[in-house]
Amino acid sequence: MYVPENLTDLLEYLDSHQAGVQLIANGSDLINRIQRRQVNAKMLVDLSGLSEFNYVKKEGSTIRIGALTTISGLVASPIIDSRHEVFREVAAKFGGPSIRNMATVGGNIAAASSSEDLLPVLLVLDAQVKLKSKLGERVLPLEDFLRGKRVTDLRANEILVETMFQELDAQSACAFEKLGMRNSLIIAFVSSAVYLKLGKTKRIEDVRIAFNRVGGRIPERAMNTEQKLRGKVLAKELVEDAIASLRNELRLSSDFRVSGEYRSEVACVLFKRALDRCLEKLTGENLG
Amino acid sequence: MVDETATVETLNKSRQLLVVGRNIERVDSLDKLLGKPIYTMDILPENSLHLKVVRSTQPHAILKRVDISKARAYPGVVAVVTARDIPGINESTALLPDKPLLANQIVRFVGEPIAAIASYDTAIAEEAVDLVQVDYDPLPAVFSPTDAMKPNAPKLHPDGNIAKHMKLRKGNIEEGFKQADLIVEETYKSQFQEPVPLEPEAGFVIPEPDGSVTCVGSIQSPFHVQTGIAKILSLRPEQVRVIQAATGGAFGPKSDEMPVDILGIAALVATKTRKPAALAYTREESMIAHTKRHPFVTSLKAGVKKDGKLTAWQATLIAETGAYASLGPLVIIRACFHATGPYEIPHVSTDAYCVYTNNTMAGSFRGFGGPQAHFPAESHMDVIAKKLDMDPLDLRVLNMLRPGSLTATSQVVDEGCGLEECVKRATAEANWYRKRAEFSKMKRSKRRGLGIALMYHGNSLGPEGSDYASVHMQIDREGTIHFRTGMTEYGTGASSGLIQIAAETMHLPVECFKLEPPDTDYCDDTGPTVASRTITIGGRAAQMVAGNLHQKLKEVAGGMLGSSAGEVESENGNYFVRGSPDRSVSYRDVVRSAHDQGAELKEDGRFNAPKCEYDPETSQGTTYLQYTYGAVTAEVEVDTDTGQVTILRMVTAYDIGKVINPLNLEGQIEGGTVQGIGYALMEELVHKDGVVVNPNLADYYIPTSLDIPEIKTIIVEYPGRLGPYGAKAIGEPPIVLPAPAIINAIDNAIGVRLTEIPATPDRVLMEFKNQRK
Amino acid sequence: MAKHLLKFNVNGKDHALVVESHERLLDVLRDRLGLKGTKEGCSTGDCGICAVLMDGKLVNSCLIFAIQARNKKIETVEALGTAENLHPVQRAFNKWNASQCGFCIPAMLLASKNLLDHNPSPTDNEIKEATSGILCRCTGYLKIFEAVRDAAAEMRGVGTNGRRNRDG
Repeated sequence: MYVPENLTDLLEYLDSHQAGVQLIANGSDLINRIQRRQVNAKMLVDLSGLSEFNYVKKEGSTIRIGALTTISGLVASPIIDSRHEVFREVAAKFGGPSIRNMATVGGNIAAASSSEDLLPVLLVLDAQVKLKSKLGERVLPLEDFLRGKRVTDLRANEILVETMFQELDAQSACAFEKLGMRNSLIIAFVSSAVYLKLGKTKRIEDVRIAFNRVGGRIPERAMNTEQKLRGKVLAKELVEDAIASLRNELRLSSDFRVSGEYRSEVACVLFKRALDRCLEKLTGENLG
Repeated sequence: MVDETATVETLNKSRQLLVVGRNIERVDSLDKLLGKPIYTMDILPENSLHLKVVRSTQPHAILKRVDISKARAYPGVVAVVTARDIPGINESTALLPDKPLLANQIVRFVGEPIAAIASYDTAIAEEAVDLVQVDYDPLPAVFSPTDAMKPNAPKLHPDGNIAKHMKLRKGNIEEGFKQADLIVEETYKSQFQEPVPLEPEAGFVIPEPDGSVTCVGSIQSPFHVQTGIAKILSLRPEQVRVIQAATGGAFGPKSDEMPVDILGIAALVATKTRKPAALAYTREESMIAHTKRHPFVTSLKAGVKKDGKLTAWQATLIAETGAYASLGPLVIIRACFHATGPYEIPHVSTDAYCVYTNNTMAGSFRGFGGPQAHFPAESHMDVIAKKLDMDPLDLRVLNMLRPGSLTATSQVVDEGCGLEECVKRATAEANWYRKRAEFSKMKRSKRRGLGIALMYHGNSLGPEGSDYASVHMQIDREGTIHFRTGMTEYGTGASSGLIQIAAETMHLPVECFKLEPPDTDYCDDTGPTVASRTITIGGRAAQMVAGNLHQKLKEVAGGMLGSSAGEVESENGNYFVRGSPDRSVSYRDVVRSAHDQGAELKEDGRFNAPKCEYDPETSQGTTYLQYTYGAVTAEVEVDTDTGQVTILRMVTAYDIGKVINPLNLEGQIEGGTVQGIGYALMEELVHKDGVVVNPNLADYYIPTSLDIPEIKTIIVEYPGRLGPYGAKAIGEPPIVLPAPAIINAIDNAIGVRLTEIPATPDRVLMEFKNQRK
Repeated sequence: MAKHLLKFNVNGKDHALVVESHERLLDVLRDRLGLKGTKEGCSTGDCGICAVLMDGKLVNSCLIFAIQARNKKIETVEALGTAENLHPVQRAFNKWNASQCGFCIPAMLLASKNLLDHNPSPTDNEIKEATSGILCRCTGYLKIFEAVRDAAAEMRGVGTNGRRNRDG
C-alpha cells in the first residue's frame, strides 16, 4: 500500500503508476476482498492522511465539501444549516454511527453505485466534482462523472478532491426519502431526492428528481418527469400526472429482496413524500 | 440422604426462598464485560495451523475425482485432508447416519465440505482452496419439498426423499368433520430462518502425546461432540476430551453437526500433523454450512360449530430439511404434536413429513418446530373467527386448554396450566376489546391493528431422547464450591440459574460457588444443552446433588455440635442445632474441619427424567412431562402506501412455573421475542438453484436497536411437575408467537390475511393492493 | 510497499509496530497486541461487533487498515475498567444482566461510554441511535438500554436505585 504524506507526492505517484491502482479512504467494501487476496493490497493508495480534504466551506453562494469529509463530519458542520437539512435526512438513514464516522463524501461518489445515498441528493443539487492530477485540475458535473455501476470518469492519474453545489435559498428546498427492510443498517429498496424551486403562486421554477435507480444501475435523475413539472403550478392533480409519468420512466428490476413492481410503487410514494416535504420547508403547507 | 422422590411441592414448602427468584448477577458476566479472552478464537494455542474448507460448488453430483496435488504442493501448505484420511467412520451427524464428515462419493448441497487445507497462514490456506481440482458428474437436483415428494423425483438418499413421516391420530377425523357446521381450509408457508449467532462457529484440536485429543470449541453439547470425534478418529470416547469455550450465541446449530464438522476436520489435521489445528468459519461459511430453521408448508382443514367449538383439525406439515436430515425428524415430531395450537379438539389428524432437498441443511433452531406449528395454527384461528364473525379472542378462550382438557395427544392437562391467566392478563394489559374497537374506526393511510396468539410448549426432550443431566460439586479447603456440569452456557443465563438453585438448596450465598467450564474429563454425560432443559432437567440434578452435599455438611456440623445431622439447621452460612441458634459453627469452620478429618466434600449425581410413553403410530400418550404456556399480543401500525409494518407494542405473558431469576427471564423473553419479530417481518435465507443468495449480514436482516417495540412481560407461575420449584422451560417459547400475533394484527389493521412469512413490505403492499381490486 | 511502520496509541500506551499493508486494525489489536476483547462477527462491516473508539469516534475496526490508524488514539474495551474498578457502564450492564452471550458487549460498552462522554443525559431515542449500528441477537436490546440509562444517572452523580430487587 502506498501511503502518501502530501498531495504533491500522491499526484506524482499516480502519474507514474497508472495501472491497477486502487484509491481508498477507509477500505469499506474493498477490505473484505483484500483479506481474501482477491485484490492485491500492494495496489492500494491510502488517502486517509490527506486531512486538507476534510472540510465544508462556503464561498459566495457555493458550498464546497472536501472529498475526505466523513458523513458525521458533514452533518456536524455549521454550514449544513437548517436549510440544508437534507444532508441530515441522508445521515439519519446512512448505515449506523460507526459507518457514518468512516464513510466519506468522496468515497460515496467514487463508488458509483445505487447504495450510495449521497448521490441522489448531490444529483438534484446539480453538484459538480473537482478532480486533480499532476497536470492540473478539472471540474465536471456529477452526472457526467458517473458512468455506470462502479465506473466513473476518474482518470488513472487523478483523485477526486471536492464536490460543490449552489446553496439553497429562500425559494428552494431539498428533501430525501429512503426505504429498506429495517430502520438501521439499511440497504435501500428505493431512495429518492427532490429539489424544488418555487416562484410566486407556487409556480415550479425548477424541479429535480433523482432515485437510487431509474433505468440503469446507478443513481440518476428522472428527467422526463422533471420536464412534465417544470414551469407549471404545483397542485395535487399535477403531481398525480407526474406520478403516472414516473411509472413509465422507471425501469426497476426485481431481485431476491423485493420485486420491481414494488420498487416502482414505492418510488412514486417516496417521490411524493419528498416533494411534499420540500413544499412544507418552503411554505409550511403540504399538498394534502 | 435427601429423598430423591421428594415432590416439588415438598421442596417448595420447606422455607421462604432467599436466592431463587432474585435478580442475582450472572456468574459469567464480569469476564465478558471486561473483554477477557475467553472465546475459542481468543485462546488459540501458539503455532496453531489454520484451516480452510474446500466446499462443493454443485447442489447434487457424483464426485468423480478430487485432486489435491497442486494444493498440497503450494508453498506454505502443511497438510490437505480428504475423506481418505479418516481412520474411523466418515460420519458427522446429529441423528440419522446420512451425512459424511467429508464428502466421498456424492455431494448433496452447494457448500458441502470435501477437503480441508492447513497452513500457518490463513491467507495461504485460502489461496490453496482454489487449487484443489474437483471433477463433478452433475445429477438432477431438487429444490423444493413438493418436487422431492413426487414419484419420479431424483432420489437424494438410499431410502428416498422422506427422512421421516410422523402421524397423529386422535378420535375419528371424518366424524369430526361431520359434526362441524363450517369447514375452513388454508395453506401457510414459512421460510428458512438463519440463527445468526454473533460468534461464527470455531474450534481447535490439540493432539496429545498419548494419542488422545483435546478439543475446544464454541459448542452446546460436549458429549455429542465427544462421541462424534471418537467415531471419526477411531478412538475410545475417553481418549477425546471436549471443553466448551465461552460461546457467543448458539440457538441450535452449535448443537447439531457443525461442532463435529469443525472439530472433526481439525482433529484429522491435528492427528496427521501432530500440531494444534484451528478452524473458524467466516460469517458467509457459517450461514451456508450450519443448520437453519426448517421451512414449512402447512395445510390446515378445521371443522367448527356455529358457536365456535372446534370439532376437527386436519394438518399436513411438510418440512424441508435440505441435503441432510440433521434433527429434522425430531423437529417434525414436535411440530406434529403442537400442530393444533393449545386447544382441545376431539378429532385430530396430523401428518408431518421431513423431506430432503438439495438446498442447505435445516436442523435445530430455537423453537424446534414450535414456531412452524403455531404460525399456521394461530393464523387459522383468526381465519376461522372471521368466518364465524366472532372475536378471535373469544374463539380462543372457548377452545383453549384448561386443567382436565385433553391435548392433541390425549394427554390430560394438569393443574399446572396457566394459559387462562396468561390470556386474561395479556389481553387486559393490551386493552384488547377497547383498542380493537378503536382501530376498526381508523381510516388513514397508517392503520393500526391488534393481534393475539397463544401457545404451549412441551418441556425438555420428551419423546426426542433420554432426558437426563449430571452435576458434580466439590468444596475446596477455602470453601469454594466447584460446580461442574456438561450443561453449557451460551447466553441463556441458565447456568447462573443452576448456581442459584444449588445455593438455595444449601442455604449459602451464590458467591460461594464457582461455575467451571464444561469439560468431558471432569463431568459425566449430561446430554445436550438444548430444548430449554438446563433449568428443568439440569436444575433437578443441581438440586439433588446440592441436597446431598448439604446433608454432608450438616453431618460434619452435627459432629462439631455434638448432635446428629437430623437436628442441624442452617441459615446464612451458619449451622446450629434446632432450637439453639446462638451456638453455631460457620460454614468456613465446617469445611476446614471436614478437610482436616480427611472427609471429602464431594457429591455427584445424575437426574433421570421419567420416560415419555406414547404410541408412535398415533402419537397418543404422554408426550411431555410438563408444558409452558403463553399468550402474546402485538399492536402494529401498517403504512398502506409502502407496506411497512411498525410494531408499536407487544405484551407477552408466559406461565413459566417458577421464576429462578426475573432479570434473566426477561432477558430470554425479550431476546426471543425480537428473534420472533425478525422471523415475522424481515428474515429469510434465500436459495436459488441451491446457492444461498444472501449469506451475509448486509442482505440477511435481523432487527437492530431501532426496530424493536416496547415489550411488556407478564410472568405467570403455575408450578409444573418436572422442574425444580416447578420451573418450566423458557429458553425457546418466546420465539414462537410473535409471528402469528403480528400477522393477525396486520389483518386487523388492513384486512389482509398473509399466509406466508416473512411479511416484508413488498408482500404486505402487494397483498393489500390485490385485495382492493 | 508491503510493510509499514505504524505508530499509534492504544489504551493510553504508545506503540510502534511494523505492519503489513493488508492487516486490519482488528488484526493488529487482537493478534499483535494481544487485546482479544475486540471481536470479529462478520468481516464485512455489517454487524458492528468489532467497533472500537478511534480519536473518540466509534469505528468498525474490520474496515480500517492498521496503517490508517497511524497517529491515532485507539480505545478498546480493555481500557474501560478492571474488576476492582469498573466503569459505570460496566457496572450497570452487570447489574441489569445486560450481557448474555457477551459477544456484542465490548462494542456495546464502547458505544455507550462514547455516548455518555458526549451526552450525559441522553434521551431513550439517543440511546437507541447510539447502539443502532451494533447487532445483538441475544438480548433484544432492552436491558442494554436500561443499563445505559442507569450508567448515565450514575455518571451524572444522581445515583441509581441500588441493585434492582424484584421485591422493592
